[in-house]
Amino acid sequence: MSASSPLLNELIEALRCLPGVGGKSAQRMAFHLLERDRQRGLRLARALEQAMQRIGNCTRCRNFSEEPVCALCASASRDRHVLCVVESPTDLAAIEQATGYRGQYFVLLGRLSPLDGMGPQELGLDLLAQRLGEGEIEEMIIATNPTVEGEATAHYLAQLARAGGIRPTRLAHGVPLGGELEYVDRGTLAHAFGSRQALD
Amino acid sequence: MRIEQQPAYVLHARPYRETSLLLECLSRDHGRLGVVARGVRRARARTSRAQLEPFRPLLLDLLLKGELATLAAAEDAGLPARLHGDAGLAGLYLNELVVRFTSRQDPHPALFDAYARTLARLAADEAPGWPLRRFERDLLEAVGYGLQLDAEAGSGLPLAADGWYVYQVEHGPVRCPPGRAHALRGADLLAFAQDRRPAPEADLALRAMMREAIRHHLGGEPRTWQMLAAMARR
Repeated sequence: MSASSPLLNELIEALRCLPGVGGKSAQRMAFHLLERDRQRGLRLARALEQAMQRIGNCTRCRNFSEEPVCALCASASRDRHVLCVVESPTDLAAIEQATGYRGQYFVLLGRLSPLDGMGPQELGLDLLAQRLGEGEIEEMIIATNPTVEGEATAHYLAQLARAGGIRPTRLAHGVPLGGELEYVDRGTLAHAFGSRQALD
Repeated sequence: MRIEQQPAYVLHARPYRETSLLLECLSRDHGRLGVVARGVRRARARTSRAQLEPFRPLLLDLLLKGELATLAAAEDAGLPARLHGDAGLAGLYLNELVVRFTSRQDPHPALFDAYARTLARLAADEAPGWPLRRFERDLLEAVGYGLQLDAEAGSGLPLAADGWYVYQVEHGPVRCPPGRAHALRGADLLAFAQDRRPAPEADLALRAMMREAIRHHLGGEPRTWQMLAAMARR
């Protein structure tokens, strides 16, 4: 980068930490903020600083939260008998937006993956076991991704649930709505075929 | 170097750059390969992500340059091995062993065959223990750490079928009094060497023997063991 000021260089370098932002985009962002949008640039700086320093993980569900217990876990209107386990906060957001689910969540922040060094401890399963042990939960909805690692995680979680006398359920896998069988991946089709449902 | 229609399995995938994946693959003729699959995390990728999941027999077209290969095309070479429950964890264990015991671009055709056979056995709902022991034995053999299972350590005398032995890593079976912890009958060691199922009473000692050898050659424990141990404690 041939920027003339060390501060500008620093800003451009710092922006490159964002996903999908290379040198060129970082430079464009930096120039944009400096040339036309200093107010909002300052707002961004403040928000970023506060978020980085104050957002931690909820002590009950491990989702991002600046309080020790997040709003979702603290809410009195959520059903305390159902717990949905997801891999990441983005999965939680997707379920919140797409379904009318009113129960609670647990966020693993990953999946079992020996080669990535992700084991039960890294996924906070001690905390999960503790929550299951509180006795309120009746059903655990396992919403890990339908990947090899996600399935292994689901198997592990199901055993954890059964050991605690809780009914484990798993999201169904199938053909996407509005899709055509011809173009569906073989594995998905095999799975959908295997777990077909009776029409009544 | 262009590699075409190479039989391979994906062992592991991690996100790479914005839309790509960095795969670890086990290929038949080129050993383990690091493969960059460009753009496969885009919504309309030519090769779907599902196709690059582990346990699927694939035929890969690759461009190998230096340390990494680039994926040109991937097609299915058969039905995916569907590993349910414990078999799924066993599959992850196979992948961890292969990645940790092999170096990239070091061909092990025998290992590839053993891997494919083991997936088929696990998918056929066999209890994972025996298929895993056979794989561990074949893996160590393929990478040059093969166990001496049919002759006594030191003397090289043939094992007595009714004798008792403990296995010493890097030496071989050593005679011991019956009933010692992790002792194995000569008959069970010979059966294992000839790929016949040893007596079920020998399962635990057999596992201990293989674990000791793996721990020794790896200089540590596979992560999957810790996972399985944590699961067993529940």
